Amino acid sequence: MILYFLSMVLFVMGLYCLVAKKNIIKKIIGIVIIEYSINLFLVLVGYRSGGIAPILLKGMQTEELVQKGVDPLPQALVLTSIVIGLGTLALMVALCLRMYEKFKTFDMSKINTLKG
Amino acid sequence: MDRLEQKIKDTSKGMTPIVKTIVRFVMGIIVIFGAYVVLYGHLTPGGGFAGGVILASAYVLLTLAFGKEMGLSKMSNTGASILDNSGALAFVIIGLLGFTGGYFFYNFLPKGEAFHLFSAGSILLSNIAIGVKVTASVFAIFMALSIFGRIIYKAAEGEETESEE
Repeated sequence: MILYFLSMVLFVMGLYCLVAKKNIIKKIIGIVIIEYSINLFLVLVGYRSGGIAPILLKGMQTEELVQKGVDPLPQALVLTSIVIGLGTLALMVALCLRMYEKFKTFDMSKINTLKG
Repeated sequence: MDRLEQKIKDTSKGMTPIVKTIVRFVMGIIVIFGAYVVLYGHLTPGGGFAGGVILASAYVLLTLAFGKEMGLSKMSNTGASILDNSGALAFVIIGLLGFTGGYFFYNFLPKGEAFHLFSAGSILLSNIAIGVKVTASVFAIFMALSIFGRIIYKAAEGEETESEE
């Protein structure tokens, strides 16, 4: 339970970083922290102490696998989420560079024009 | 080796000689570890994506330490693009070869003995294909961002001289 709470704390730290900071690079770091806290939470949901890999080997009863095996769904989901996170991170950084090219600043509060 | 020594002592490009020497030692270890993670993806934690990111981080480290020319001499932009596409193509071909046995992604190779390197049929080949694709594409993303950023930085530097940047 305390681990779920700590991953929630990590989420709130990322949210603070996303909302309160003005530098857009710091905002991106906040988004990444939120993403990783969610990943950590999902992995923790799928954790089972003393669990085995969910592979049905020869001579293994199905009930034993059901009792001991970990849930593979959160792991597969988090693996996909990490890959997509890398893609979105690259996209965010590229958009940031475009913004720096246009406005010559990374500070959100100085970008107060809607017209280019 | 002699040219490498020259590149290490050349302070005009990249970082200091300390960083370059350390990178020279660490480079091989990172590449071996990345190849291990890719090849043993079906037995231990890791796999094509994780190993590919480790291998790409080796290239990124080389580029950061020695400058852009060194990184591009190991893998050019065109080469990265070709490797990227060929990795994706190889993965699709492995999937399509499953039709020789029945259905998509059918394991057409012998399964071998469990917990050995050549044991999981076509999963090893898929992991290698994904590893090549991820290595090339992450390196291409890094190079694209760095070249793009440098152009923008030069443009911004040329235009604004009185700003506090």
